[in-house]
Amino acid sequence: MSLYPITNLNELPPGARKLTTIAGKPIGVFNVNGQIVAIQNLCPHELAPICVGRVDGTTLASQPSEMVWGRDGEILACPWHGWEFDLLTGQCLTDRRRLRQFEVKIIGDDVFVEVYS
Amino acid sequence: MSNPAWIIDTDIHPYIDPQRVADFLPQPWRRRLHMGNVGPGSLGYWNPNGVRRSDVYAPDDSPEHGKRTDADAATMVKHHLDRYALSHGILNADHINVGLSPETDFACAFMSAVNEAIAADWLSVSPRILASIHVTPTDPQHAAAEIRRWAAHPQFVQVLMPSGSRTGYGNRVYHPIYAAAAECGLPVALHPGTEGLGVSGVPTAAGYPGNYLEWHTGLVGSYIAHVVSLISEGVFVKFPSLKFVMIEGGVSWLVPVLWRFDKNWKALRQLSPWLTHPPSHYAHEHILLTTQPIEEPDNLHQLQTLLAMMPIEKMLMFSSDSPHWDGDTPDFVGRHIPAAHRQRVLRDTAWALYRLDERTKNTNPHHAPKSIQNLKSKIQNYHVPVSNNELE
Repeated sequence: MSLYPITNLNELPPGARKLTTIAGKPIGVFNVNGQIVAIQNLCPHELAPICVGRVDGTTLASQPSEMVWGRDGEILACPWHGWEFDLLTGQCLTDRRRLRQFEVKIIGDDVFVEVYS
Repeated sequence: MSNPAWIIDTDIHPYIDPQRVADFLPQPWRRRLHMGNVGPGSLGYWNPNGVRRSDVYAPDDSPEHGKRTDADAATMVKHHLDRYALSHGILNADHINVGLSPETDFACAFMSAVNEAIAADWLSVSPRILASIHVTPTDPQHAAAEIRRWAAHPQFVQVLMPSGSRTGYGNRVYHPIYAAAAECGLPVALHPGTEGLGVSGVPTAAGYPGNYLEWHTGLVGSYIAHVVSLISEGVFVKFPSLKFVMIEGGVSWLVPVLWRFDKNWKALRQLSPWLTHPPSHYAHEHILLTTQPIEEPDNLHQLQTLLAMMPIEKMLMFSSDSPHWDGDTPDFVGRHIPAAHRQRVLRDTAWALYRLDERTKNTNPHHAPKSIQNLKSKIQNYHVPVSNNELE
């Protein structure tokens, strides 16, 4: 397990993302409303580079004919087929599959990601 | 010559700017296009991800970076065909909706101009790019003339009609189209997405869906109706060499529909006395499906069980639907197809159906882009779990 420097918090404001490759693994690091998360840049469905997808909110579970928007900035939609994933947990909203997550460490203002290499 | 390591993509959507189509239109239609009126449009159902994928651009480290892979022929060859080890791809323009315009004179002129634009801007660039002849089914005589006009072109390989329609395509009104296609040795294909547009019927048998999810899922309904119509009205008896390709309808719906059809035929045969075999026989002999959007049950074996219930080795051909939102890649589809039939589905059936031996025999290999020479090594690194003998 090694810690890899990614960026610092000034360069990764809420809503921003940074795509990088660590130890051969394509990784996306996102600032989700102040919380930094890191995921593998690979959709578990058809292996698309999911981290270039749209980050947005979504419609929350609701009653028929009711549209309730929420979770702004927390949902990543794959650019290929639109599958939505919860950036905070990695879980797909419509399938059992999930994103591979990596541990993030903040030391001072610097963002590190822990990856086996 | 057919190289079995290469795959054929039977459904690719080029971006064809209506203003480019206008260059091939006579007046007054050119002026109409210049004023921005392209015809019947769509019902406007909203896909929250966009119908065209947001990321189909050439990679950042390529000279074409920033360009969409469907923007022009050269970019498509390099960043779609080469990238996915495809030897050939068949272009189907998004403009098929115009074929359902109630303004028949305009619709016919427009579809002819689409074919002109494809020939000028796409087919001329690479022999690996093939295309459908786009026709206006509401004027079968014009459609037949358009088929005969392009039939000698080696890269126009089939006839394309929208699956949105006024009646089932078995209706005798459409038979002049099939006569021309059969005479020219071309399959006829349908593509979905126009249901409810122009002069077509309502989008589903139950009327108007309430959103894109409902509309898109229900598109298979018109495919069911067309298959039943074509067979029961005797199209394949009248045109015994004709093949019909159902593009982008998915795969798993056909078997249970044919069971129902065969059962009904046993009691109601006298209404279609020209059918001397059960309806499923005609489907297996004359109808082909493209793979995308292949169904994805949680248990893949359930899909494979279903695929075993029809002769997929002659009925199923790979398609990507690139660059649309519900496209499939060849390796993804390859994993869904039993190994014994993978080579047929990914390549051989399309090679035979579109007579590519004949069409490619005059192709000078020196005219092919250099990148084609690397295809074999590419596919060996590729994630399609094909057996070794298929790579020879």
